[in-house]
Amino acid sequence: MSARVFSRVLLLASSFAAAAGANACGGGREYVRGTDDPGIDQPAMSTGLDKDDVETALQKLLNELREAPIMGEWRARAGQDDKQTVAIAPFINETTEHIDSPLDVMLSETETWLAGSNVVRVVSHERQTDMIREVEGAQHPIFDPRHIPQYGKQLGVKFFITGKVGAADERTAGARRVQYFIFMQVIDTETSEIRWQQKTYLTKALR
Amino acid sequence: MAAKDVFDEGAALNAGVVLRWARAAGVVLALGPAACAGHSEYTLPVRTALDAGDTRGAIRLLDERMKVSAEGDLPADMGSDNALYVLDRGTLQQSILAFDRSKRDLEAADKAIDMLDLSRGAGDSIGEYVFSGSSGRYRAPPYEKLLVNTLDMLNYLELRDLDGARVEARRLAVMQRYIADDLEEGDNAVLGLGGLLAGLVFEKSDQVDEALRWYDQTLAFAGFRALQDPVRSLLPRGHYRSPRLEAIEKSAATTPAAPPDTGEILVVVGYGRVPHKIAHRVPIGLALTWEAGAMSPHDVELANRMAAQGLVTWVNFPTLGREQGAYELPSCTLDGQPLALDLAVDVTHQVRGEWKKIEGKIIVSAITRLLARYAAGTLAGAAAGSDKLLAAVLSIGTQATLAALDVPDTRSWETLPARVAVARVRVPAGKHQLRLRARGATREAEVDVDQGGWAVVSLMALR
Repeated sequence: MSARVFSRVLLLASSFAAAAGANACGGGREYVRGTDDPGIDQPAMSTGLDKDDVETALQKLLNELREAPIMGEWRARAGQDDKQTVAIAPFINETTEHIDSPLDVMLSETETWLAGSNVVRVVSHERQTDMIREVEGAQHPIFDPRHIPQYGKQLGVKFFITGKVGAADERTAGARRVQYFIFMQVIDTETSEIRWQQKTYLTKALR
Repeated sequence: MAAKDVFDEGAALNAGVVLRWARAAGVVLALGPAACAGHSEYTLPVRTALDAGDTRGAIRLLDERMKVSAEGDLPADMGSDNALYVLDRGTLQQSILAFDRSKRDLEAADKAIDMLDLSRGAGDSIGEYVFSGSSGRYRAPPYEKLLVNTLDMLNYLELRDLDGARVEARRLAVMQRYIADDLEEGDNAVLGLGGLLAGLVFEKSDQVDEALRWYDQTLAFAGFRALQDPVRSLLPRGHYRSPRLEAIEKSAATTPAAPPDTGEILVVVGYGRVPHKIAHRVPIGLALTWEAGAMSPHDVELANRMAAQGLVTWVNFPTLGREQGAYELPSCTLDGQPLALDLAVDVTHQVRGEWKKIEGKIIVSAITRLLARYAAGTLAGAAAGSDKLLAAVLSIGTQATLAALDVPDTRSWETLPARVAVARVRVPAGKHQLRLRARGATREAEVDVDQGGWAVVSLMALR
């Protein structure tokens, strides 16, 4: 026993001390630029939605919309110099995550894609805040899909593109998993008829 | 002979002894930097500022502790203690009506606490049993997990943001399910308050069945008598029923419809502060009288032998301190008339109840750490060989150093209100003057309620 054993005891004690010190006192951090380290976009940082999730979801949904009959109808009207007016309405968040920012990004991306397609006239969603305030009142200016016909009249649009995101969120002793169900639809504001609808799924987990 | 011994010891002070003494010093140098004060010692200035009514000063102290570059920033590292500081700051921000900042803090801490909880492994438990009670990752007790979402829901309701409040209500439901199914604690009284707020959120979002489900859960707890009438008037609009709701439905011949030209106000008053954990050191003999029954006979015998050593035979473990504001009676007036507040949740009772469940295990783990220190000291002494003085110094030095490093785990969410009282009242549409008072803090608010509208007004007097 002797020095060798004692050294091991010292090593063990020092390791525990170092581990506890690291736990209690924290370590250094640095800011990183995405162009310097492209890999930083790769890992999932939370169970919320990030850039990769938004891109994946929109790729599926907008590719489907491109092929949808309603898009063909809009192209035909555009060919007759009679573009339909479309507005993008907020996505309804029915999840357990505060994902309003990524949903707003999805909205803007969809608006950009539609404007770029040059088959419809797109009403800026910035104007919609005032419109929602007018319809819903100043105390609760929250978008309500049941009032789409009124929004349509206020904005003078024929179609709304909107959607909702639901989630199944489960927590166990060892993991938390959120399964997202993302729906996008085109609604005729005069009849409230759903002219097109598509869905996509995403899953995020902490384990 | 004596002279020879002295001489021998002196002769040993050559290369070999110097090396051994250097090793002894190495133990202290290696372990020394890791020694940190306990959580509740770091937060003492924060609690002192709160006691003096200086909430903004307490927030500044937390910012300094987290070393954030700007006021209210989140720390880059949301590790164990920082997650708790952010939780503390979240409740303090709520108490100064900075609801946007409060929700950002509570949401960041919510994720961090979840991450810490899920990251805990065998290493944390081993560290807690061998090295120090505070060496493992923080595991939030069920009432803290439920209160994160409950208090954040209050932030959204104050801001009249039903979308955000619904997210928090759903998060509360997920955590509630986990606590009921996995931790087998389905009757946590915090759920009464959470259910009251979540019920209001879904009722005002026109999701009547979801609202009824939450209200049904809330009515299982005492302190929600003001909820009977709103639930009775809501029942005809929904399909969800339970024996409790059916009893309410049958208790009146007619269903009172909500009078026209009226709205509702919900008042929430949190007051006092829950007992925080404090470090406690007791002699091994005393600790054994409490917990010997939960230890193996071999460990008890070893611990009894150690009791004779005196200097380093102290057991370090946390215990609960005193709560603040135990005898406080909050008050509320609406347009100059007193409004009765019902005690919705006694958070202190939850804290004490949860502590009772784990206290024995914590003392036993503290005694186990003491035995580990004793074993390490014995090994260190044996390493000195025939050099008795060095052996004694090494043995006692190792034990004393490890004892100093054994920081009792005093981590907890310290700025929770000790109690929360509520009132729900129907008022004519229009402007109303509310005055809430508790623990020397006052909030005066002019509330504008639309026809069929609602408002939530809160006061958190955390002193």
